[in-house]
Amino acid sequence: MKIEHKLMLSYVVNIIFIMLIGIFSLDNMNVTLTKLKFVEIADDLNASFLEMRLAEKNFFLFKDTTSLDEIDKNIKSTLASIETVRDDIERAIGAENLTQLKTFIDRYSKAIEDAKGRKTRSAQSDLRLRLEGRNLRDFFKTITQLERKNVNDIILRSKKILLISFLVILLLSAVGGRLISRNIVNSMRTIEGLAISISKGDFTKIEDVTSRDECGSVLRAINVMSEELKNREEEIIQSKKLASLGILTAGVAHELRNPLNNISMVAQNFIEMHDSLSREQMIELMTRVEEETKRIEDTVKHLLDFAKPREVHLKEADINDTIQQSVKLIQNVLDISDIELSLSLDPSIPHVFIDEPQIQEVLVNLMENAVQAMTPGGTIFIASNASESKDTVAIEVKDTGSGIPPEVLPNIFDPFFTTKGVDGTGLGMSISYGIVKNHRGTIRVESAVDVGTTFTIELPAHK
Amino acid sequence: MDSHRIMIIDDEKIVGDMAKMALEKEGYAVETFTNAGPALDRLKMEKFDIVVTDFKMRGIDGMEVLRRVKGLYPETKVIMITAFANLDTAIEALRGDVFDFFPKPVKIKELKASIQRALSK
Repeated sequence: MKIEHKLMLSYVVNIIFIMLIGIFSLDNMNVTLTKLKFVEIADDLNASFLEMRLAEKNFFLFKDTTSLDEIDKNIKSTLASIETVRDDIERAIGAENLTQLKTFIDRYSKAIEDAKGRKTRSAQSDLRLRLEGRNLRDFFKTITQLERKNVNDIILRSKKILLISFLVILLLSAVGGRLISRNIVNSMRTIEGLAISISKGDFTKIEDVTSRDECGSVLRAINVMSEELKNREEEIIQSKKLASLGILTAGVAHELRNPLNNISMVAQNFIEMHDSLSREQMIELMTRVEEETKRIEDTVKHLLDFAKPREVHLKEADINDTIQQSVKLIQNVLDISDIELSLSLDPSIPHVFIDEPQIQEVLVNLMENAVQAMTPGGTIFIASNASESKDTVAIEVKDTGSGIPPEVLPNIFDPFFTTKGVDGTGLGMSISYGIVKNHRGTIRVESAVDVGTTFTIELPAHK
Repeated sequence: MDSHRIMIIDDEKIVGDMAKMALEKEGYAVETFTNAGPALDRLKMEKFDIVVTDFKMRGIDGMEVLRRVKGLYPETKVIMITAFANLDTAIEALRGDVFDFFPKPVKIKELKASIQRALSK
């Protein structure tokens, strides 16, 4: 479910709940009002009944028959007033109770009529009058009390329900809010982590994005972006390779032309002088052709290794050999730029388990950067050494160039970051970083403006 | 008469060896060097009629060799060899001082012809 929908649902649930409470409270209030109205009417009726009973008492005490007329009158006016508020009463106590009340009044009225109709008083008639009067009073008292109690109950119940509802709403909001926010916060953390790893050049996708909410959509979008970036990076790496190839072409041409020229010159002499050549001389010449062919073969192999798509082939290797091979690749650039190279390789360092062309690419890149940072006459120092525990092998590439300003130093391994303006793709260092990382190694940089820069690569030793 | 003295400088040893092989057959006295330093030291001791040098070498390059040779013996002819085809324009600029220029691969017959021309001038 989408977060938007979850929030909406939580709002709707809360609103419905609040509305239900409102309706319930309104209903309770209406009932309470009706009951209160009845209690008010009941007070009036009670007063009337009290008057009737007083007159009844006068009748018994003073044998005053006018008292009976008074009661009769009172009964009639009571019935009339009951009729006027009949609906209210019926609503409050129900039709059954009303009928019963009327019956009680009727019976009382009949007892009065009966008493009035007699010339002489009879004990039986007196008793009936008293009984009916008391019955009427008791019944009315009972239902009045009941109604008062009802009103009380309703108010108490409303209070309780409102209190519970308040707690439920609080709980619902707290739990719902927490669930939704936790969901969002978790997804945001994932997205944050993903963004950071992408910025570091790690384009691993988040697998199995099951969440169907906005965060899920964002994750899926980031996955697409990551995939796209990965493709782009591969494209750019490929074009960067082509660019590097361009730089190396001059060197490669030189590397190929020289052995080709050598073979050609040997062949020319062989053709020209084969008559006068001894068998040993012939063999010597052909051996040299064979050697030169081997040279070409090596150069072509290197070129292919360099241009080959990135596939990791780890092999045990002597890092000093790798350094020497890299130097060969860059030698021409060094010569053209008039940069000296000083190697200090520790011959006793342990072997490493590496993809040689890739590590060569890193070293060539570092050396190229060093050359670009220096003016002619500068020197690049390359050193190899092992850690004390012989667990790691370190390669140091140090230049005496312009250095990297401290404010940009933390960014130099970021993809697309370049200090070379339009001349750099900003990928060289990033690719190098990725390669070293893939080898479970580290690469770090120290630099001081106008003093120089030192890159140190550490690779795990092969055990 | 003494045979003409030719010096070959190229850091590719085979170039010197093959040129020497071909040129000695023609009767020239040939000395080869794979490094410009010792070659220039040798030149200080003795004059050579022709110096064939590679354009691009580690340390002292062909340009520097040209300057030093002309400084010692202005009449010595310098022939330049290079593996850089794209340096045509640079070579063109040097035409004045360089007697001839050969891109690699070197045609030995043409080199021989060029040396003959240089010596006959």
